[in-house]
Amino acid sequence: MGVLVLVPLTVCLALAALTAFLRTPALCRFSGLVAAATVLASGVALSAAVLAGSIPTAGSLLRVDALSAFMLGVVGAVGLTATWGGLPVAGAPAHDWMYSTLVTLFLGAMSLAVLADNLGVLWIAVEATTIATAFLVGHNRTRRSLEAAWKYVVLGSVGVAIAFLGLVLLYAATVAAGRPTLSWIALTQGHLALDPSLLKVAGALAVLGFATKAGLAPMHSWLPDAHSQAPAPVSGLMSGVLLSVAFYAILRVQAVVDPVLGAGLMRGLLVAAGLLSLTVAAALIIRQRDLKRMLAYSSIEHMGLLALAAAIGGTLAIAAALLHVLGHGLAKSSLFVVSGRILAAEGTTQIADLRGLLTRRPVMAVPYLVGMAALLGLPPFSLFFSEVAIVVAGFQRGLGWAMAVAVGLVLVLFAGLARHSASIALGPASPGLAEPDPPGRSAPLVLALGSLAVIGFTAGPLPLLLSQAAAVLVGAR
Amino acid sequence: MNTRALVLAAVQVIVMAVLSPLLVGLMRQVRARMEGRAGAGVLQPARDLRKLFAKEPLRAEGTSWVMSVGPVVLVASSALVCVLVPLVGTITFPLVPDDLFVMVSVLLLGTVALALVGLDAGSAFGGMGSSRHMTIAALVEPTVLVSVYALSIPVGSSSLSAIVHGRLVHPSSVVAPVSLLALVALFVAVVAETGRMPVDNPSTHLELTMIHEAMVLESSGRDLAWLELGSWLRLGALLGLVGSLLAPWGIASSVTPLSLLIGVLALVAKLVVLGSALAAGEVFLAKLRLFRVPELLAGSFVLAFLAVTASYLVVQA
Amino acid sequence: MSANLFDQLIGLSAGVLLLTSVLLVWKRSLVAAARLLAAQGVALASLVAVIGVFDHDRQLVAVAGLVLVLKGLVLPWVLDRSRIRTGAVREETPLMNTTAALLALSLLTMLAYLVSQPLRVLAPGPTTAAVPVGISLVLYGFLLLTTRRHAISQLVGFLLLDNGIAAVAFLTSGGVPFVVELGASLDVLLVVLILRVLTSRMTVKFGGADLDDLTDLRD
Repeated sequence: MGVLVLVPLTVCLALAALTAFLRTPALCRFSGLVAAATVLASGVALSAAVLAGSIPTAGSLLRVDALSAFMLGVVGAVGLTATWGGLPVAGAPAHDWMYSTLVTLFLGAMSLAVLADNLGVLWIAVEATTIATAFLVGHNRTRRSLEAAWKYVVLGSVGVAIAFLGLVLLYAATVAAGRPTLSWIALTQGHLALDPSLLKVAGALAVLGFATKAGLAPMHSWLPDAHSQAPAPVSGLMSGVLLSVAFYAILRVQAVVDPVLGAGLMRGLLVAAGLLSLTVAAALIIRQRDLKRMLAYSSIEHMGLLALAAAIGGTLAIAAALLHVLGHGLAKSSLFVVSGRILAAEGTTQIADLRGLLTRRPVMAVPYLVGMAALLGLPPFSLFFSEVAIVVAGFQRGLGWAMAVAVGLVLVLFAGLARHSASIALGPASPGLAEPDPPGRSAPLVLALGSLAVIGFTAGPLPLLLSQAAAVLVGAR
Repeated sequence: MNTRALVLAAVQVIVMAVLSPLLVGLMRQVRARMEGRAGAGVLQPARDLRKLFAKEPLRAEGTSWVMSVGPVVLVASSALVCVLVPLVGTITFPLVPDDLFVMVSVLLLGTVALALVGLDAGSAFGGMGSSRHMTIAALVEPTVLVSVYALSIPVGSSSLSAIVHGRLVHPSSVVAPVSLLALVALFVAVVAETGRMPVDNPSTHLELTMIHEAMVLESSGRDLAWLELGSWLRLGALLGLVGSLLAPWGIASSVTPLSLLIGVLALVAKLVVLGSALAAGEVFLAKLRLFRVPELLAGSFVLAFLAVTASYLVVQA
Repeated sequence: MSANLFDQLIGLSAGVLLLTSVLLVWKRSLVAAARLLAAQGVALASLVAVIGVFDHDRQLVAVAGLVLVLKGLVLPWVLDRSRIRTGAVREETPLMNTTAALLALSLLTMLAYLVSQPLRVLAPGPTTAAVPVGISLVLYGFLLLTTRRHAISQLVGFLLLDNGIAAVAFLTSGGVPFVVELGASLDVLLVVLILRVLTSRMTVKFGGADLDDLTDLRD
């Protein structure tokens, strides 16, 4: 069992090393795809193992409970969508070796983050994702991508450094309690007598730091730039799953802090961050002129919703948040993949220049509209169910006022996104050649959007996994 | 107690009155030699004083009694500072406290007197010098207060002689980082207060760059002699304060001829060392532009402030 | 090592850390910044070594060596090479003038003392008494990051922030576990190298590394 835990990490590392040294076209083309598929397979296998009752571990640093297994599956699924959808057309040249190496390392770092039991290793993995994506954001070598990369690296590293300060103070609290440790399971189950006032500062700093990486306001300013300037598959990975991994880190920290301090501090911080993120996204969504930047602001909105769900707490809200993580990941990565194809076909992602896409390029417009419907939270897609569940849980647990504000803001965002999407897809067909899309390229999108439509309804292992994952966090309190 | 303190005060004033012109002469001589000039000799300031005292002061039309009283007030305040600061010994008057705040207030008295003298003639340069002088004074007083206060925290009293005595008894407090930080801040403040480089060039002849020189531009004869003597006494006293705080050894705790002699000799040594170091430093420094002076003084204030906060943490721990 | 000597050495290292940080904010020269950061790295390494010797912890003394090499030599060297590549010598257009920045330092120091109060009450001792110094460094780093407009100045602010966090880590708990320490050091080094590459690309594309030129992306 322990071996299975190490599989995704070793495969990603090996593929990255091979791509960096050998640089063959086949490796450059497929290494990201193979790595993502391996991560997904390990995620599924580990979920099965956890549902069967075992908790696989590897050494004292890695530990897979239901939450970790689920998150690993999310990383794999979103990664597969983004890398498969981002494969260059059959005749076109593959990405360069550095791109493929960095994407593979990126997937490996995210897997390490969700598999880690030691909070220090979690931190290292999150910082490693910043390092891996730095040159991916600046990949296009334009002035704008350089500006975006600079802001991303500086703000991301500063945020993660603040999180490190929080972890350092947490470690100091454990030293003072007599048992120095950074292991999550020891911190939550070990009944350590942690000093409350020190833990307050430590928890606040750690959440603040990881919230910077998750793109929550007011530390979100890097997000629209970085996600709009990166190549489309990378944007899909970053928006789809990197933000969620940072959110996962916040959940883990919250589970450590809440038993000692009560839910008040974390709840206050996360409600403030969530509502502020929703406000920022709602205020700026209508002003967006670039498609990818618009999608980035939508990511800020969904991270705000996740923060609110974490603030609410309780099994329903957490399970809904985890389902939302999966749903948002799949939807956002599909949308970014489509936007990348639009960019390649039309040469621009400015909303004003893209008109009548439904008539001109239906092969791209249809997945775009379906994905946007999923993102907006329309049924039958799973985001509808997760958002409703979050609101219901909010009303049940005393945060009704916040939910009312949030629903209002989500409606504003709905209107903005719908308007932009309508102007892109509808309208008269301007004269232009419509080239047919090569076959087989829509497979990843169909898979992703199809599963989104289905998982809201299916019984079976997924709801069980979600409830067990929520129980890991709630039971720890 | 009273007579002993009186004797010590008299010794300090007389010694400083003799030493200050010599100190200034030494500083000018060191600077001259380092710049490759022969220099006018260590006794030149004393000769200048002798010349000036013999001359009748010429006062411009429109000046008032401030022109004649101001210089005397400056000298009196400087002499009082020489009494309050523990230069040779640490014995104090019971009725006149040598408290830190009293010393700073007396210094301020002299500063204001000098500024008023500069304003009294109604000339543009005098007014300019006075306003610059008061600006710097406003920035320097807090630094002097805070830095000496930082040194007073381990002792628990703001009496200067108690502080020096405390440092004499506990030598380790002299090299503590808090103390060094406070002394650096105090040194910068002293440089600004006494109008040395890089705040003010004492040997400049360009009126637009003057601060101290501009204020004494209209004075002559006896008035100028008092003003010069007052400024030199301040320089000597403040450098002596820094010396006593930096190296308290040799300060007399009792008023016996031998201990007084040792105290005077120690004072001479400290003044020689500090004065030469200051003069040598001046050779390598350029004068700061006036709007950069607040930066320097803010920096020294921050250092003093950090010294205060750091010494609180040392006491608590 | 006697307790008294330990106290004094901790105080001395902390004092040097604080002094170099004040000078980093005071002086706008980027050439001096690299040297001050190197001095800070040496002070931090000596702090770690003193704690290691006092606690008879060999691993900590080895970590002190790592800190010396990384923060005292390698990172300042990389910073200086970046600066030479951009051709800048001074920070020309800070958002806050020097006097205001210095007065802000006093306020930030008070804030650091307030924030570290729970820790000093929890475990009183010479090392925790110096924790406010570490937190002050973190806050000064923030000040530099927000008020300086040159890419190299922001790099200096980031390194100052990192030094402060490292100081807090070593003072509160004798450092974090070795694996984490190693990972964190490697991360900082890689981030600085990445920023160096980005700075040189910026110099090529924009003709300088002034962040005021980076204004294309806005809402």
